[in-house]
Amino acid sequence: MKGDLPIAHESGAKHVSGEAIYVDDIHVHDQLLIGRVVYSPHAHARIVSFDLEKAKQVPGVHAVLSFKDIPGRNQMGPVVKDELCLAESEVLCVGQAMFLVAAETEEQCIAAERLISVEYSPLEPILTIEKAIETNSLLGPPVTFHRGVVEKGLRSSPHRIKDSLHIGAQEHWYLESQVCLCVPGEENEMNVFSSTQHPSETQSLIAELLGVGKNEVVVEVRRMGGAFGGKETQANHTACWTALLSYATHRPVKIRLFRDDDMKITGKRHRFLSQYEVGFDEEGRVLALDVVLNSDGGCATDLSFAIMQRAMLHVDNAYYVPNLRVVGKVYKTNLPSNTAFRGFGGPQGMAVIEQIVDRIARQLHRDSMEIRLLNFYGIDKNNVTHYGQTVEHNRLQTIVDQLLESSQYKARRKAVNNFNARNEFFKKGLALTPVKFGISFTTSFLNQAGALVLIYKDGTILVNHGGTEMGQGLHTKMQQVAAAEFGVSPELVKVNATNTSKVPNTSATAASAGADLNGMAVKNAIDILKSRIAQEIAKVFSEQHQSNPSRPEAIEFTDGKILDEEHPDRAIGFREAIPLMNLRQVGLSATGFYKTPGIGWDKDKGDGKPFHYFAFGMAVTEVLVDTLNGAHTVLRADILHDVGDSLNPRIDIGQVEGGYIQGLGWVTTEEVKWDGKGNLLSHSPDTYKIPSVQDIPKEFHTALLQGVPNPDTIRRSKAVAEPPLMLALSAWLAIKDAVSAVADHRIEPEFSLPATNEVILLAIDTLRTRMAEPQIQKVAAK
Amino acid sequence: MSQLISFVLDGKVETIDFHVSRFTPTTTVLQFLRNHPRHKGVKEGCAEGDCGACTVVLGELAPNGKVRYRAVDSCLVFLPMVHGKQLITVENLKDSNGTLHAVQKAMIETDGSQCGYCTPGFIMSLFALYREAATIDRAAIDDALTGNLCRCTGYRPIVEAAAKSCSSNRTDHISASEAKTKRLLKSIPVKAVLMQTPMQSYYLPETIQEALDYKKSNPSTTVITGGTDVALRVTKQHEHLSNILDLSHVDELRTVRKGGELQIGASTPLTDVLDVAKDRLPALCSMLSVFGSRQIRNCATLGGNLGSASPIGDSIPVLMAYDARVVLQSTAGSREIAVREFITGYRKTVCKEDELITQIIFPAVSDKANIKAYKISKRKDLDISTLNGGFRLELDDEQGVKDIVLAFGGMAAQVQRASGTEAFLKGKEWIRENIEEAMRHLDKEFSPLSDVRGSATFRRVAARNLLLKFWVDTANSIPVELAKV
Repeated sequence: MKGDLPIAHESGAKHVSGEAIYVDDIHVHDQLLIGRVVYSPHAHARIVSFDLEKAKQVPGVHAVLSFKDIPGRNQMGPVVKDELCLAESEVLCVGQAMFLVAAETEEQCIAAERLISVEYSPLEPILTIEKAIETNSLLGPPVTFHRGVVEKGLRSSPHRIKDSLHIGAQEHWYLESQVCLCVPGEENEMNVFSSTQHPSETQSLIAELLGVGKNEVVVEVRRMGGAFGGKETQANHTACWTALLSYATHRPVKIRLFRDDDMKITGKRHRFLSQYEVGFDEEGRVLALDVVLNSDGGCATDLSFAIMQRAMLHVDNAYYVPNLRVVGKVYKTNLPSNTAFRGFGGPQGMAVIEQIVDRIARQLHRDSMEIRLLNFYGIDKNNVTHYGQTVEHNRLQTIVDQLLESSQYKARRKAVNNFNARNEFFKKGLALTPVKFGISFTTSFLNQAGALVLIYKDGTILVNHGGTEMGQGLHTKMQQVAAAEFGVSPELVKVNATNTSKVPNTSATAASAGADLNGMAVKNAIDILKSRIAQEIAKVFSEQHQSNPSRPEAIEFTDGKILDEEHPDRAIGFREAIPLMNLRQVGLSATGFYKTPGIGWDKDKGDGKPFHYFAFGMAVTEVLVDTLNGAHTVLRADILHDVGDSLNPRIDIGQVEGGYIQGLGWVTTEEVKWDGKGNLLSHSPDTYKIPSVQDIPKEFHTALLQGVPNPDTIRRSKAVAEPPLMLALSAWLAIKDAVSAVADHRIEPEFSLPATNEVILLAIDTLRTRMAEPQIQKVAAK
Repeated sequence: MSQLISFVLDGKVETIDFHVSRFTPTTTVLQFLRNHPRHKGVKEGCAEGDCGACTVVLGELAPNGKVRYRAVDSCLVFLPMVHGKQLITVENLKDSNGTLHAVQKAMIETDGSQCGYCTPGFIMSLFALYREAATIDRAAIDDALTGNLCRCTGYRPIVEAAAKSCSSNRTDHISASEAKTKRLLKSIPVKAVLMQTPMQSYYLPETIQEALDYKKSNPSTTVITGGTDVALRVTKQHEHLSNILDLSHVDELRTVRKGGELQIGASTPLTDVLDVAKDRLPALCSMLSVFGSRQIRNCATLGGNLGSASPIGDSIPVLMAYDARVVLQSTAGSREIAVREFITGYRKTVCKEDELITQIIFPAVSDKANIKAYKISKRKDLDISTLNGGFRLELDDEQGVKDIVLAFGGMAAQVQRASGTEAFLKGKEWIRENIEEAMRHLDKEFSPLSDVRGSATFRRVAARNLLLKFWVDTANSIPVELAKV
């Protein structure tokens, strides 16, 4: 079918010509006001008093608002209601919104901001996980998932390693910063153009904030300039602030966060401090694992518990661990509330086990790839996770067999070792790491989606669905799904901007599930339409062939035609049929709905089936490290990733490569730093370094696993989005492998994530110092 | 004297009179375009020249009589800087039939856009590459794209789009209409412009003499050459600059004289410095190749980098290693001073109130001198140095150190030579034992700070290692395979 062709991104031509419209590009009449957020300069303080009067006097200023001006509920917490829209008596982090200004120009906003006076009484902040642990500053009760008998397993293990791992935060760095435009309508109506992954939640929070019905608020999203989880809950904030200003002034208002403000105000990927003890046998088989995952939730809950849950559900990654206990603790600190970011805790969970496997290999003087293979989930045995879900359709062995071959892993391992033996100052490293990632929202009820499909009299089709387009190609895939289901060319199908007045009560476009959920909902709507049309077309054909009528069940939609497969001479073009259907009073619009079947689990015990299925992938990465300056180069990456029967291989390859590079940034150069007062130091691209074109692998091979249809999903496809990010753990461990080569793999390097040039250089420096110690030299001599 | 600026946009000469305009002379080209109903394709990603989403191309009459096209970050360019130039945005790339440009087509074919927000900027960098690059290889492509960040694709398809589009016959409707463009550009008079509003004076001289006269009567004016540093004070700090002297249009400050010595005009864009230095000053080139990005180097200058006298100014250590001199000029005359004496402290120089930096002079380099430049930064490209080094070594016939310069940036409040270590090494044999001893000396010589770019410990270890690296890179006794990859 034409819909199956790998078509280019539906907005590609608009992107390259600058004609794609983002929120900041929408033409608004000259009544537009510019909004500005005034935020806390303190990490923790009591607000003694404030005075907004002088600010209000600035010419051109139309509103200066505090929490007292909120007509409804002062709240914007997405799940737990612990996040004020505007601070009341206390500020909990630098960057917390306190006041809002609307003026005719940005300069007037800034002038007004400078005239706001606030008296604070500073309080002691908590700015590190260590301090939070020390003071037991938890955001909620710890959760434990447990399988087997961990203490006994550890006791009876021939080898044990006990240590901890620091994992840094990550800034989303979507190219389009948070932005919202609100245009008030009559009475209580508010039209909201937001760059949000979750229009329904944005709508709800604005309605509650303004104290109006949700039916008064319409949120529309044409496209986002990147999101990556950063606009799942935290786009709500900018939208709420904008709506409040628009409500107060009765004028259109736009807030676009300046890059530095965006970086200071919004949350990041959670940093983790993970403590672990692992027991393993002589061959490297993991026998028992005891892990405590501590995350920095920031000053409010946001999605921190769901993120911790996913970390706990991925601490096994692709490995069977018979005795496993994982405890998740989310700590409250005085930093902006941390939030969703591609992978949603999965990366932090996986990093722990991947680090452990790497250490086991070093201790046993084995190549880590062999230890990985030894511990992979099996097909018929050792195939149940620590939370009781069977790993079905396990692709690990298939992928590793193909990837070892295509990447020439074994030959390159030898070459790397030879190179390292000959070079003092440059070292190479190589690592293979797997990804097994569970697909579904772990909050099970969220696994639902709606669609509204309209056919107009000219035969063109307008698809509305609850998912949002952030660059991932969801609308392209939905266009393809609709075209394939109707058997028409994709040119006949347009996917509308996501709009809460078309499809209500949707889930966020998140958890990689956008195409899975919305694709099925679109299909459901189309099935309803096709059934109606088939009934009527069968009648049309039957009127022409009264002796041998057509049966509705035999009507097919294919190649731009509607035909009777039992009488192939009876056919009508799709575009001719549609006006006829209108004449014959057939309803040409339908809503569709979908909920993921067969999932459900006890999230307090960690038991059941949280995931519809697993996505698999693997990467082999080779790096070169300059041991004198700590710089690294990624020489080559080979990726093999499983997306089932791809809905669109071009888009999926883009997701896999883009995910890997985003992960590469997380494990190497992206370092979020705060000062001792809770001020973000890395608050601009000047100091926060995402990968540039020169950081990508010199040789980059990406392939999709072929011939592996995924049962029970839209057109047998699999989710993509998040899982590939974690393939970059192979780069992190390849760097560690190169560092470790400095001491001929005899000493465990001091390593953390990200492996910045500083971490690399200081690890090497320590290794060199320790190499010079007499007992190490003695071991080497042996 | 004129008060108006004019530039070519959308095939016409656009003139701005700041007396009546809603824009000011320090409005950036980005802000101007974002307020223009037809040019919203240009995007703001960071407003500090680090992401390239706002990239536009400036066409300019080059000395060879052709129009030269260069990509710049429009967020760092004040409106008067485009006076007399052609401003090309993503909206200008389709031809009159609405057909996409070759670079636009290639980006679609290779799936080079996902969210699309960085795309117009990439398209403009690709367009500049398409128009200007002498050769298209991976290095040229990487160089052209380093100033553009993409968070979605992982760049591979964009690199492919560059290779695909730029290797073909590189004509387009822009080149076809070059004669018309030249006519329009030539219609804009070449003379000094003084823009005075109640809040601001912005002077754009055409000659050195005009610049010096202005500096004498406005000693506290903010001098800009490429503006890549000063623009941040406006876009990020919201600072009001009341008086600006912009040297970007003074041709005499953008000329290079090659003789025994190389004299580089202080306002010469680094792109042009790289061109003239590539055969003569390899260490300078290696430093400049990781200086900012292509967009930055199309504006930034040696004069600007020296004048701001930052302790982590990329070019300063290597200028010291070359024993470069600065020419300072005033209406009263000119003087020369060595770079190492020019900087006197944290962002302080000997430049007097009425003086301007007009030239940087590189003396002829002896065959025996070995000069290297090193930069340590978190990301290899488009990053600010955590520390950097410009080193020079001259050995005598017995492999003894005859002359050595070890200039470090990022280790103190100003770029500073490790004079104790230099003294220790002088006369010593250039062998590893002595280097290791020297590394211990070096450790004692600096007390670097910890900051967002790196800890003091990291800076110490890295500085020590740079000395060892310099030895590895210069010692004849090192087998090549141990030193290089």
